[in-house]
Amino acid sequence: MSFKDQIAFVRQHIRRNRLRVFMTVLAATMGTAFLIVLASVGFGLQKTIKDDILSNQMVTQIEVYSEDMTDAKTDAMKKIGHVETVVHRKQLVPMALGELEGHTGSMNTYFTDFKDEQASGFKLAEGRFPEKPGEVIVGSQFAEQLIDESKELEEGEELATYEGKVIGQTFTFSFEGRNDENASAAWPFTIVGVKEAPGKDWAFDGYLYLDESFMEEMESAYAAASKDRSEEEDMPFTNSQVNVYADDLANVKSITQALKDDGYAVYSVSEEIEQIDVFFLALKAGLIFVGTIAILIASIGIFNTMTMAVTERTREIGVMKALGAGPKLIQRLFLMESAWIGLVGTVIAVVISYGVSFAANAVLPIIVDAALGGETGDSFEVTFSVIPWQLVLIASAISLTVAMISGWRPARKATKTDVIGALRHEL
Amino acid sequence: MIEVKGLSHSFRVGKKGKETEVPVLKELSLKAKDGEIVSIVGRSGSGKSTLLHILAGFLQPDTGRVLVDGTDLTAMNEAQRAAFRLERFGFVFQNFQLMPGLTAFENIELPLTLKGVPAPERKRKVEELMESTGLAAIRGHYPNELSGGQQQRVGIARALITEPPVIFADEPTGSLDSETEQDILNLILSLNRKYGITFVIITHDDEVAAIANRQYRMHDGELTEGGLRHVV
Ligand SMILES: Nc1ncnc2c1ncn2[C@@H]1O[C@H](COP(=O)(O)OP(=O)(O)OP(=O)(O)O)[C@@H](O)[C@H]1O
Ligand SMILES: [Mg+2]
Repeated sequence: MSFKDQIAFVRQHIRRNRLRVFMTVLAATMGTAFLIVLASVGFGLQKTIKDDILSNQMVTQIEVYSEDMTDAKTDAMKKIGHVETVVHRKQLVPMALGELEGHTGSMNTYFTDFKDEQASGFKLAEGRFPEKPGEVIVGSQFAEQLIDESKELEEGEELATYEGKVIGQTFTFSFEGRNDENASAAWPFTIVGVKEAPGKDWAFDGYLYLDESFMEEMESAYAAASKDRSEEEDMPFTNSQVNVYADDLANVKSITQALKDDGYAVYSVSEEIEQIDVFFLALKAGLIFVGTIAILIASIGIFNTMTMAVTERTREIGVMKALGAGPKLIQRLFLMESAWIGLVGTVIAVVISYGVSFAANAVLPIIVDAALGGETGDSFEVTFSVIPWQLVLIASAISLTVAMISGWRPARKATKTDVIGALRHEL
Repeated sequence: MIEVKGLSHSFRVGKKGKETEVPVLKELSLKAKDGEIVSIVGRSGSGKSTLLHILAGFLQPDTGRVLVDGTDLTAMNEAQRAAFRLERFGFVFQNFQLMPGLTAFENIELPLTLKGVPAPERKRKVEELMESTGLAAIRGHYPNELSGGQQQRVGIARALITEPPVIFADEPTGSLDSETEQDILNLILSLNRKYGITFVIITHDDEVAAIANRQYRMHDGELTEGGLRHVV
């Protein structure tokens, strides 16, 4: 019997029992939709939390430590697979001072490559990146460390920090105590950009960012100015801070491993993310398990329907067998029928689930917001339900498997139908 | 050619543990040559149907062999016997055994569908056969919209559609009035002459048995050849 004829045969059976098949499909649909919607909440919460972590850019960052970091080494890191960029910041070790309109403060200074920084997600709140020598970028809280020390402080009064605009201002950068006439080590810097404030409230960014091309000049000027001071000779001019950025969170792990293999000390938040993933994997598995119970309940309906179908058609099965239908064909015809119920139920369930998920995401935040008196604010962005294709696949597999299994015994029963007894069977 | 040798069968009846063996077929032999009409007459309960079920491969005998053109049916498993039936046998039943969900046309088509014959060829064959057996007018009717005689004609057409060398018929006219019975018998005779199909007909009616070339009489599970009447 050709597959097409088998399908026609099954369809003819289904048509004769429309109502019963419809009710069974309905049960299968409800079970499967319940599973999908339930598990989608797990996916939704995971997405919400992950998006939150991902949004502050740190997750693809891998911190690398090495005693003697060189540009050659960081260039080699760029060649590791899936590395988006490598940022090699050199933090100035000697004390430096900045002075702007009578306000002074010590300068925490980085030499860096702005191209690499930009590739890693370094963003400006205002202004632009440096284009000429002498142009610099400062952190969002740069002004807070410039203090007017000439003002006498009354008790309880706050320090007189610089209040004006920093962008466009030119300030003087000098090494502490080395600004004498014979070896000048002071530079005027113009602030052309202010870095975006860090995502976390507690992070303080008062740094001064200089282009690394300026480092050599500064270093030799500093060396000349401190010729006759030997006490700090052993101090390096800069300390290296290297961050490697992966192109995707999924690749952080492999890059971390590659760096470890090369002998670097490494830290990344991928491990924390992994823990979150493990937690949600367990949660989702639990939800899918609960949902599967709903499908199992629906499977009782399928079992019932198919058993009745086989019993009802005992005589027909007998005739088919008498005419020469083999046991395999009989079994297949009944399995196809239960598979059809499972398949149609699943397809409808998927459509319904997407509808429910969409509605939940549209309506629930409004309800929650209203319940909390509208205090959740703009930052309240929760995805309640997400249905990724993997979930659809898992749910379909479970639903179809359960449908096939529950149709299995009735189908076996059909193949065991005794021809002689069946032909005697009265309708 | 069908040959049966030393066929015995008994049923176990009664409650579990207290079963008794009821011998139904006793060491019987039978022969049906190609193109013959063979009849088996006997009283109710003599074992005629049981014999036919074994010949058709519905039932495995306790002992004995059933050879169809030299192939031993009793040595096959269920699936093999089913495939063999599809290829070689047609069946006509006393109570027609048409599929209630299929039209007359589709019922006749069913064996071809089972064989995997492509739809256009099926359509052509069934239409041809319905035309020649006078069923063209009822092609779209469901079994419950047909008279007994019409249903049996459809049943015979279904047995015939695969052009099997052998057709088994268990009381083919048992549910029909005598006039319709005559129609059906004439149809069987003409098909036998036209296509040379071997018929094995079971009946308790001597008139039906009379159309056979070879007549057997069943009595308490024993089979004897030679009937009351001569071949017409
Ligand atoms: N499945 C069975 N289990 C037990 N006994 C059976 C079974 N089938 C048939 N018999 C017995 O076998 C004997 C022969 O039955 P069978 O149906 O072959 O008779 P028959 O000649 O066809 O009768 P009828 O003309 O009434 O159809 C009967 O006594 C019957 O009780
Ligand atoms: Mg009988």
